[in-house]
Amino acid sequence: MPENNKSFAVKVNDFKFQFKPEDLSQLNIVKHSPTEYNLIKKNRSVNARILDSENAGKKLRVEVDGEAFEVEIRDDLDQMLDKMGFGAAAVKQIREIKAPMPGLVLEINVSDGDEVVEGQKILILEAMKMENSIVIPTKAKIKKVVVLAGQAVDKGQVLVELE
Amino acid sequence: MKKILVANRGEIALRIMRTIRKMGIKSVAVYSEADRSSPHVLFADEAVCLGPAPSSQSYLNGDKIIDFCKQLKVDGIHPGYGFLSENADFAQKVTDAGITFIGPGPDAMRIMGSKLAAKECVKTYNIPMVPGIDQAIEDVVIAKEIAEKIGYPILIKASAGGGGKGMRIVHAEADLEEQMQRAISEAKSSFGDGSVFVEKYVSSPRHVEIQVLADNYGNTVHLFERECSIQRRHQKVVEESPSSVLTPELRKKMGDAAVMVAKSCKYTSTGTVEFLMDDKLNFYFLEMNTRLQVEHPVTEMITGIDLVEEQIKIARGEKLGFTQDDLKINGHAVELRVYAEDPLNKFLPSIGTLTTYIKPEGEGVRVDDGYEEGMAIPIYYDPMIAKLATHGKDRTEAIQKMKKAIKDYKIEGLSTTLPFGTFVFEHDAFLSGHFDTHFVQDYYTPELIIEKQKSNAEVAALIGLAYWMEINKMINPVENKSTSWKRRLAH
Repeated sequence: MPENNKSFAVKVNDFKFQFKPEDLSQLNIVKHSPTEYNLIKKNRSVNARILDSENAGKKLRVEVDGEAFEVEIRDDLDQMLDKMGFGAAAVKQIREIKAPMPGLVLEINVSDGDEVVEGQKILILEAMKMENSIVIPTKAKIKKVVVLAGQAVDKGQVLVELE
Repeated sequence: MKKILVANRGEIALRIMRTIRKMGIKSVAVYSEADRSSPHVLFADEAVCLGPAPSSQSYLNGDKIIDFCKQLKVDGIHPGYGFLSENADFAQKVTDAGITFIGPGPDAMRIMGSKLAAKECVKTYNIPMVPGIDQAIEDVVIAKEIAEKIGYPILIKASAGGGGKGMRIVHAEADLEEQMQRAISEAKSSFGDGSVFVEKYVSSPRHVEIQVLADNYGNTVHLFERECSIQRRHQKVVEESPSSVLTPELRKKMGDAAVMVAKSCKYTSTGTVEFLMDDKLNFYFLEMNTRLQVEHPVTEMITGIDLVEEQIKIARGEKLGFTQDDLKINGHAVELRVYAEDPLNKFLPSIGTLTTYIKPEGEGVRVDDGYEEGMAIPIYYDPMIAKLATHGKDRTEAIQKMKKAIKDYKIEGLSTTLPFGTFVFEHDAFLSGHFDTHFVQDYYTPELIIEKQKSNAEVAALIGLAYWMEINKMINPVENKSTSWKRRLAH
């Protein structure tokens, strides 16, 4: 693994950072419990805490200044795989359409078993008094419509399952 | 009074029931189908379902609420704020049904509910009012004459209006005709009534309001001011008491004026008299809110008086237990309304589920809320999750406690106004006390919050990386081991 650590891409919530090993060796960092750290950066003393970690520490939740952040680390090997299209995200097939925001399903435009094409409207979701068309990003066959017109849905709730 | 029904939901219903229980009275909750598992329902002694989630079919159904009161032998109804709280017809029906309405009488409510009637009512009491006319007009010629008299800029305001609709600022005579026509047509299409007012436009106003309390025997006192100038979309988001610009003399003058306004309509119970204040500290009567206000906790914190308890005592016919001279300001209190809104996206509602919800605690920290972890914020009602208020011996201490409380308040699953709160409580204009209702448009941009988040996100990235390298033994594990090994050998 050491030969892969020439650069690290780190995604934190919607922010993306790129670090080199020398960036890290210059850090003024102390660990004062198994999960608690203090970092002095540009004279600012910041406390941070590891809340959660999975995938051998590549996916973490880190609390900084009272706020929790989702951290995802990609080392050289991961980044190379991403570029070649073998990344975890790229190989994942779309199996369902989820609600991008909470809202109310106003009308449904497809039924179970329908063949749909990219960009076709599946349903209309009303949120904050605005109507939003939910379209499908790929050609697919509808396995099952799992919501009903008039139903309130949460962000991320599955709307339609695909074959 | 043995049993009180609280005709409201969320944090205010819960807050009112706490006082009801403290006073040894039984409480009845009402709820819609969306609120079955809300804390106010779980807390109450009895609870009844009003109907489906939309307010019009549940919390606004006054007749159904009165029917339940009769069935359950309820003595009093507390309306909270919003919903039916300022509905004079409802208050009348409650009274006619032989139930005590915990709030002002329907007549006072009716007078103060109309801008015209309110102005007419306080006219004889020498209350300062924004220069302008006290009758609605549709005639541009009359408007021109008035504007000339009071001087530009002027404000054209729909008489039936609200929420900024039918409102126009005119800076010069050349624009008057055009702007007036637009205001009239907007008022017509929004409210079905094209009549408008013309008054002097107070630029950079502060919003300062006075809490009043009156019993049924003509005793009326004020509980000092609340400064509510930090607003977004003409809605308050940060409040404090006392205001940092009021002198004791000005406080007395405004307090006396507020008491006069209350007396002019024979007001009883708690009420709030709102004033506009210009940059020379001239104040003008704006309107009276005939209910318990959202921001009442700051007043309770600096006076030590439970306003809901006072409302109930007044409603059951007791005299006020104190006079104006007994009331003193103790320290300073600030409040932040925690809304499920995204301050990075124009304060638009951010509805979802509270996947993490941990409240701050500590001396001088008060959280009035109506949600628990795992609950969803329903899309049908006001998106306020909680009110966070802190009290300190002075303004600095109250603000410091607030900043810590915001940090300790962990909410995940949706965006809230908490980061906006930090922005306000760290801003020089707020700290110096020199700010007005234009604070958000003058100083706030989402980029300032994003910049700070990015800097913290970078720290999260570096700490995460350090942790990952450590558990994957990339950071000199061998050297460390040998050092300790050598040390052990030496001993």
